[in-house]
Amino acid sequence: MWIPIQVNENSAEPLYHQIESQLRSLIISGQIEEGTLLPSIREFANGLNCSVITVRRVYQDLESEGLLRTKQGTGTFVAKVGTSQREVFRREAVEEALNHAVDVGMSVKCEEDELRELFLSILKRKYHPEKGEGEA
Amino acid sequence: MEQSIIRMEGVTKQRRHKTIGPIDLALPKGYVYGLIGENGSGKSTLIHMLLQTVFPDSGRISWFGHAYSKGIPTEVRRQIGYVAEKSNLEEDNLTAEEAAAFRAYWYPEWDQPYFEKLCDLFQVPKATRLRKMSKGERRKYEIAAALAPHPKLLLLDEPSSGLDPFAWKMMIEVLRECLQTEDTTIVLSTHIIDEVKRLADYVMLIHHGKWMGMAEKDSLLDNWKEVWAGCPEADLEELPNIVQTQQESHGVTRVVTTSCRELEQILNDSGINVLKTRALELDEILTLWVQGYKPAGVQEGEEQTHGTIKTS
Repeated sequence: MWIPIQVNENSAEPLYHQIESQLRSLIISGQIEEGTLLPSIREFANGLNCSVITVRRVYQDLESEGLLRTKQGTGTFVAKVGTSQREVFRREAVEEALNHAVDVGMSVKCEEDELRELFLSILKRKYHPEKGEGEA
Repeated sequence: MEQSIIRMEGVTKQRRHKTIGPIDLALPKGYVYGLIGENGSGKSTLIHMLLQTVFPDSGRISWFGHAYSKGIPTEVRRQIGYVAEKSNLEEDNLTAEEAAAFRAYWYPEWDQPYFEKLCDLFQVPKATRLRKMSKGERRKYEIAAALAPHPKLLLLDEPSSGLDPFAWKMMIEVLRECLQTEDTTIVLSTHIIDEVKRLADYVMLIHHGKWMGMAEKDSLLDNWKEVWAGCPEADLEELPNIVQTQQESHGVTRVVTTSCRELEQILNDSGINVLKTRALELDEILTLWVQGYKPAGVQEGEEQTHGTIKTS
């Protein structure tokens, strides 16, 4: 199983944290399905050019969150993700992106009303593309 | 805590121009330890002490939990694989096949199909006398022969010297595969930073005989960073774990830190923007470490409680 994780060495975020949050997203979003056998710790570490200490820490953290389970002698598997967990994650991911967007707006001194209008017009364009084109 | 494969306590050895040690270390099993130091810094002496081809002047060494002061017994030696910095003259007149047969006699675990597989992969000419081989071919034979008995502890003294880039890459792959399928512990002395980057879990540093300690590789890379902060230099002078600061332009200061997360936290709390961060390369980290800047969570010996490796 190849896991699409991209590490950014120059980020201030520690390696294990980057790997952990990406793997968590992949599992909760359902991109890696329940029951999937993950690579062994050494294999995963080799693929990411990081140490087994880091990968072990990620597996342990996600196991204690209930996202992974380890079967002695067979390996580490993706556990079942609850619907409520998935909902919370969906909401958090969107909230985070919106938060960031608002921060960008504030940093260039957008007024609240200006941002709101912009947001609504983007919503309109994305959800009703035909109408948007017609108006333009 | 896993059992330590190797433990050294206050180990010293007097060499002609310098004293090596005191070295204190504990190596839990299943990890790769990159041993780094300049030429003549004591790396090979350390490895020789682990083979009992050199005996320490003071201190204590244990293998798999035993001190073996009267010599490492054969059945324990059989679990230790070794690639020497300089090839063994005794095998010079043998072909790779003959030398393998000789080694197989001493290693009951010798895996001939695996040895042949590695020789084929490395393109080692099996019927050529070892002294007639090129430096790279000889090296590849040595690596294959050291791996063939599936050692529990593998001591590699500059294994890549003489290898071309293609053979080097193959060696990395072979060692990685060996680590994936077996529970091997590897001590790897090397000058090649990329080798450490690709293989090591821990970095051990020795400088002119002085033991600088051992640290987790990822912890080094996570913590040692160059940070550009949106504030004047004076604001950062009092902060802990700073290696150097430099005012880049008005209101921007470049800082090298050994504790990136902590610095980031402090800057955030004081409302100072982090404009950019860059991870230091391993060689930059080692240079600063040698100059006396200690990594967070380093295992040095004296302050360390034996049997635990402090992590940051």
